[in-house]
Amino acid sequence: MNDDSVTLDSADAPVMGIDETIIKIDDLSFSYDLGKTNTLRNISLDIPAGKVTAFIGPSGCGKSTLLRCLNRMNDLVDTAKVTTGKISILDQDINAPDVEAIELRKHVGMVFQKYNPFPKSIYENVAYGLRVQGIKNKGVLDEAVEESLKKSALWSEVKDRLDSSALGLSGGQQQRLCIARTIAVKPQIVLMDEPCSALDPIATARIEELIAELRQEFTIVIVTHNMQQATRVSDRTAFFYLGELIEYADTAKIFGNPSKKQTEDYVSGRFG
Amino acid sequence: MAKHFQRTGRKLLGIDRQGWIKGFFGGNATLSIIILFLICFFLITEAVRFFPQHHEKLQLHRKSGQEYVNHIITEMNEYSQLVSLTNQAYFQELNEKYALQRGISNSFEAFLDPLEDDGEDLIEALEDAEDDPEALAQAQADWRAFVSGVVEGANRADIDSFGRLDDASWAALKKAMIDYDPVEEEPPAYVTQAQQELRDGMARFEEAKNEISSAGRELKQLRQKLVKIASKVKDDAAAEESAAERKKALLAGAETMTNEAEKAAQIEQANAIVIRDEFPFAARTEEIAASKDAHKAAVAELKEKLGIAVAKLPTELSSEEASALLDQVRKAHPPFVKWLDESVAKASTWQWDRKLSFFGSAMKFFFGVDWVTNSSWHDFYGLLPLFIGSFEISLIAIMFAVPFSIGAAIYVNRLAGRWEQTLIKPAIELIQAIPSVVLGFFGIVVLGEGLRDLSQIEALSWVPGFPMQERLNVLNAGLLLALMAVPTIFTLCEDALNNVPRAYSEASLALGASKLQTVIKVIVPTAISGILAAVLLGFGRVIGETMVVLLVAGNKIALPDWSAGLGVITQPTHTMTGIIAQEMGEVTKGTLHFRALFLVGLVLFTISLCINVAAQRIIKRLGHA
Repeated sequence: MNDDSVTLDSADAPVMGIDETIIKIDDLSFSYDLGKTNTLRNISLDIPAGKVTAFIGPSGCGKSTLLRCLNRMNDLVDTAKVTTGKISILDQDINAPDVEAIELRKHVGMVFQKYNPFPKSIYENVAYGLRVQGIKNKGVLDEAVEESLKKSALWSEVKDRLDSSALGLSGGQQQRLCIARTIAVKPQIVLMDEPCSALDPIATARIEELIAELRQEFTIVIVTHNMQQATRVSDRTAFFYLGELIEYADTAKIFGNPSKKQTEDYVSGRFG
Repeated sequence: MAKHFQRTGRKLLGIDRQGWIKGFFGGNATLSIIILFLICFFLITEAVRFFPQHHEKLQLHRKSGQEYVNHIITEMNEYSQLVSLTNQAYFQELNEKYALQRGISNSFEAFLDPLEDDGEDLIEALEDAEDDPEALAQAQADWRAFVSGVVEGANRADIDSFGRLDDASWAALKKAMIDYDPVEEEPPAYVTQAQQELRDGMARFEEAKNEISSAGRELKQLRQKLVKIASKVKDDAAAEESAAERKKALLAGAETMTNEAEKAAQIEQANAIVIRDEFPFAARTEEIAASKDAHKAAVAELKEKLGIAVAKLPTELSSEEASALLDQVRKAHPPFVKWLDESVAKASTWQWDRKLSFFGSAMKFFFGVDWVTNSSWHDFYGLLPLFIGSFEISLIAIMFAVPFSIGAAIYVNRLAGRWEQTLIKPAIELIQAIPSVVLGFFGIVVLGEGLRDLSQIEALSWVPGFPMQERLNVLNAGLLLALMAVPTIFTLCEDALNNVPRAYSEASLALGASKLQTVIKVIVPTAISGILAAVLLGFGRVIGETMVVLLVAGNKIALPDWSAGLGVITQPTHTMTGIIAQEMGEVTKGTLHFRALFLVGLVLFTISLCINVAAQRIIKRLGHA
């Protein structure tokens, strides 16, 4: 990387106070086929730091696509393209030519819909993100692994079998391990793409508790199908429909007194 | 009652259409299993019958004394290698140090032909004019004029065909030719002087060389004598084994004859065949057994004379190559002497009636180092050189193929863009479409020549085995087989990589890993069983390949010369597949040779089977992971 390139290093990054905008999405349109059809259309949205923001909406409304724009996971699709607008995270345009997606992802972590720990040991799963950053010091790794596992409420369950395969854990444990893995690299933002959709209600409750814990330290953006979940975990809610942002407000307002008809229909279960 | 829910449609032979379709597919599957079973059965029955037959042959080998004589033959062979090295060194030195002298001597002799043929009349005139000084002077003048004419008109390249003469000596020789006396056939002084120099200079070396050559004279004579006896015993014993059958056949033939005289003659012939219970091996091999002392004495003499002669070998030579050859002789001498003692000791344990274990004779197949067929002496069937040859070639092929194909698979599967994928994948898979005989042809003409030219580059002489002696060798065959293995390994590897869930790479990338880190730390470790299986199956493909190795491996049946270190890869070799393809066409069914080839086939089959089973096991484990 050349010296001019912008990296979102935590030392340089401005410290965000609560309620300050950490992600600024401005008139964003996004296409999966080089601009022929836009999957997302003219979305403008400011996400506050230190809060949980939920994206809701029926299937195919673009909420996951928008989430994957935030850490540029859509780069993996050859024909994906931002057609208009821009996304700024910590006041940096993340699609600027000198931004390295790898560096961005160290600051914007992601938890996926289906828990996907690597077929490695529990320890190695959590240490992975640090290892790829070149950290080899066993002491540093040990500490980071323990801290992350504690934060994701998994430590007491796995501390005696850190060297056994992660695939031997239960589904809910595996998803919490994925969260531990994500927060081990100390991102500022954690994106969660329907993190509970593959879990049973008890495991879901534990993840929700965990989200409540983590909001103190991270800005969380969560995509969910489950409207009760949105009301339970989020501070702000954005409702999407057919690639457009319909309404974005405090969660209480969206579910209690929405200003748009479409929102009301959706949250009251009339469609979706 | 009305008929409901009944099966409709016509039935043939009581089976409906569904049944026929099911039967067709099931039948195909069954047939392939039956064919596989038949192949195995045929292969195994033919191959296994090799062992008793081989055992019998080896027993005859022992009883007839051939086994004993074989020790002497091997001793002589090893010894003649020393002789040959010495001779090479001698001529190398001669050619380098005394090139000029040899050139003069040879060129002089080359001049003699035209002089003696075309100047016949002049020589006669010289002879006739001996008593007449005037005529003699005239004849000598004529002769000189003739000689200078011939000499001036001679083509230098014809006379000095090796180009050993420089300009000065060529001129001097031409001038000296005038002095040649055709009547006394006395060479000119210039030539005799050169010949003398050469003789003096090489005298010591020549003496040593001749002593080395003659050191084994006693042993050689003993060998000749005993070979004759043992061969005769073996042939007679083999003939007598079939005596009963021959007698029966002759008598049966006589029954059908109408001519009384012929019939009587045939019956007489049949009765002349004596059928003995046992062939008198003890009596017949008495002389061989009695030669043990003579053998010991001959070897002792060889050792003594060789020791003296080797010490006499000159140490200071002007030819580097000759010195290297002599160093080889000196280095080989002490181990040879030691080996001789062992060989004699081993030989002395021979007794015609010592028991030969069945297991031992079987091991002679698996670990025998010679494969000699259609020999008038004794046929050897030793698998080891073929096995090692096959293994060497396959190993080299895999060593080259694995990095290429795994690298290509990773690139295509994870790093390449779409258009690169559409180009690379079919291109690699197309390699499989090249007929192996075409590849072999390419290996002989292009790769073989190219490698040899490359190996002659001075800067590359540090590479083991360079410069290469042989164009067709292990390396060449290995490289071509690597090319053949690449598509197999590549395709299977790519499948294995493809089977790695997308979620793993997404998770890794989302944690800030680069594509390369993702491949190395997550994708490859996850796909490792599939990759291993791909490599194994590639190995299976390579070890069974026939055409390329037959054309390119050099087909020399010998154990690799390990003294060359890694350079063994530039030696020619033969393979298990190659020997079957080469010899199966010309063996008689049911002979020992025929069965030996089948046994080689069975060994190959077993290896392939093991590799395939191992690969399947590994793939199954991947499924559980």
